[in-house]
Amino acid sequence: MGLIDDRFDKNVFVTSLDFVFNWARRSSLWWLQFGLACCAIEMIAASMARFDLAERFGMLYRASPRQADLMIVAGTVTKKMAPVVRTLYDQMADPKWVVSMGSCANVGGPFDTYAVVQGVDQVVPVDIYVPGCPPTPESLYYGILELQNKVIKYDSMAKKQGLAEAENFREVERQVAMSAVRV
Amino acid sequence: MNETSIQEFETGYSEPEDIWARTEYFHQDVERHPAVREVRAAFGPAIVTVVRYGDETTIHVEPESFREVCNYLRTHEQLGFVVLTDVTAVDMLKLRTTPRFDVVALLYSLKNRVRLRIKAGVDDGQPVPSLVPLWPGANWLERETFDMFGIVFEGHPNLKRILLADDWDEGFPLRKDYPLRGWKEYPSYNTERMVPRTRTRWTGRGV
Amino acid sequence: MSTTANPAWIPEFVGDVESTPNSGTYTITDQVQLSDTESQMVLNMGPQHPSTHGVLRVILRLDGEVIIDCDPVIGYLHRGVEKLGESHRYAQVIPWTDRTDYVAAPMNNLGCAMAFEKLVGLESPERAQYWRVIFSELARIASHLVWLGTHALDIGALSMSLYCFRERELILDVFEAYCGARLTTNIMEIGGFSRPIPDFLPDQIREFLKVFPSRQQEYVDILTANPIWIARTKDIGVISPQAAIDYCLTGACLRGSGVNYDIRKAMPYLVYDRLDFEVPLGTRGDVYDRYLVRMEEMRQAIRIIAQCLDAVEKMDTELMAYESAYVIPPHKGTMTTAEDMQRHFIWVIKGFSPPVGEAYFAVEHPKGENGYYVVSDGTAIPYRFRIRSPDFVNLGVLPYVAEGAMLADVVALIGTIDIVLGSVDR
Repeated sequence: MGLIDDRFDKNVFVTSLDFVFNWARRSSLWWLQFGLACCAIEMIAASMARFDLAERFGMLYRASPRQADLMIVAGTVTKKMAPVVRTLYDQMADPKWVVSMGSCANVGGPFDTYAVVQGVDQVVPVDIYVPGCPPTPESLYYGILELQNKVIKYDSMAKKQGLAEAENFREVERQVAMSAVRV
Repeated sequence: MNETSIQEFETGYSEPEDIWARTEYFHQDVERHPAVREVRAAFGPAIVTVVRYGDETTIHVEPESFREVCNYLRTHEQLGFVVLTDVTAVDMLKLRTTPRFDVVALLYSLKNRVRLRIKAGVDDGQPVPSLVPLWPGANWLERETFDMFGIVFEGHPNLKRILLADDWDEGFPLRKDYPLRGWKEYPSYNTERMVPRTRTRWTGRGV
Repeated sequence: MSTTANPAWIPEFVGDVESTPNSGTYTITDQVQLSDTESQMVLNMGPQHPSTHGVLRVILRLDGEVIIDCDPVIGYLHRGVEKLGESHRYAQVIPWTDRTDYVAAPMNNLGCAMAFEKLVGLESPERAQYWRVIFSELARIASHLVWLGTHALDIGALSMSLYCFRERELILDVFEAYCGARLTTNIMEIGGFSRPIPDFLPDQIREFLKVFPSRQQEYVDILTANPIWIARTKDIGVISPQAAIDYCLTGACLRGSGVNYDIRKAMPYLVYDRLDFEVPLGTRGDVYDRYLVRMEEMRQAIRIIAQCLDAVEKMDTELMAYESAYVIPPHKGTMTTAEDMQRHFIWVIKGFSPPVGEAYFAVEHPKGENGYYVVSDGTAIPYRFRIRSPDFVNLGVLPYVAEGAMLADVVALIGTIDIVLGSVDR
């Protein structure tokens, strides 16, 4: 076991079983029904007849956070709502992903006021940011597809080496990505 | 503003045929407005002034008689301003010194199909009688006015914050001396990182 | 002890237990007196809930299944739009009104633009008024479709949401064809429309008008005579006409109780006084009547759009008022003449200065009376921008109408009041 662990880079699937699990995870992401504002209407429209996010991708919305593994934060997060968002995120079981949909969830959107949290990433860690005001269902699709690419690379490092190590690694990944962006 | 003395009032114009006609509500001379006439007759000293802008009439009253004037208009047979459209306030800090706030009640008459605005000027800390005994629907409107401006409505059953969190301690947002982006930074609710409220806008109105 | 013998596998209860052999229910007649508050349960329909149409929190105090007290907590989407309206120029305020009631965004834009026009004393040209009516009525149908889809979904008719959103996509295609955005359209401007209407737009709208009545008949077939629907909506949430006026209701909530107050007929604006349409009124004021009122409003909206399209297709006049003080000049003028370019620059950078005064203008929004109260102090920025949103006031009737109702009716009541939290909280 020790021989195999050191040979491979952390991005490569260590076992083929991981690949099967991740494929299952990305093909049946169940999202938490958590629409806050206008983006919620576009999210609902994306799961309706014309765009059909639900049936085609195996995704389906669940009302309870315990049964969901994806939280699409669609809409403005206000200071009154932020603890609720955090509670729901904490109630979801690992592995979980967060998609921040729309400008309000990304950076506070057009509302730079006293009552709005400027971005949901101040409350929960976000994996994918989908821009738009509101993003059309096609944009949400693109975000979900990118998320699926991310899910397939999810490795159960958290299970093997502990949560702290996994969080550390995620932070390192984020630093690498941020340094590539010119601020 | 139409400040006519009693003499001019008596001799200035002739009595119209139908004093309750709908055209009288929209007449240029605001003293011919049927509601203004009746309110002046019933509440002479409580009226501060009557303003007409476009086709909208506003009666400024003393805050103590705010509820009585609205009740009079509501129960009057010919005037019949039974619908309360809105209760809100305007912070007049930049336009005049006292009184600071103008509590605004917008009324509508179903049978005459006209609107009327009643304003009461209050200072900071001065209470206004609540309209909830007349219209239960004013409950939430007055709570919102309290939440945004800090105006206390006397006789309101449940005056507490409605739009902001119950423990909001940063003041009353819609006052003119409250900045757009608020006073405090966003507190960290068990978050990964905390971002301070630094200045992120370098052009535009310095709010 | 019980009169009939229990089956052998049920253990004997301690105390006085009566059993009814047929139903198998047990009544505990042992008198344990619970105080009033101890026998009541407080249930929190939290901000995250599939049936609350957004972030609405309802704290219910229940005695069994019957609601004793209901306390809606709002403010989870309060974004400070009124404060934003006090720090930006008049034309910049209009996009924020989109985001208040996001299912019928053109109607919000209309109210805001017309309030500003009333303040400066401007009137848009006739062709622009017809097009404003067309877009407003399309927004009305779109809003009622969302209402019907979510209301029926909550009550249990799950397929209705799919049908309603399918029709709504056709309307959003029309909006997207004109202004590029599906949902937050920013379609109305002060003075009319600055972008030309494309030639294919009337045909696209006619296609929709051809298709929609038969689709609406599908909804009627599914719901109107359905015994389950009737059992869940008849005599639920009855609001008497006097209570409706006392609680300051407007829109379908008021007309469902029989009070005839529709701003399009009472104080007509735009071209509504030239159009031929009816205003449906209910009789009993329950959920079923409000459902019928809104369905009929959709049919009347189709009628209005058809009349407007007939009138406007032959017109070739301008779409934007040419009022040099308040309106941006036409695009061609901006690109060619120096005066128009200067005027455009000043208007965009500094903004126009309306006279000192105040204006209130209300439109008949699908949810009720959507009013905008603007106070101006002569500068390019409004002094006070107040949105009188219909569902904020309509939601205040929920404690009154939920008292004595059963728990399962709460979702029907929230749906029938027809709220959109962006408009409630602003």
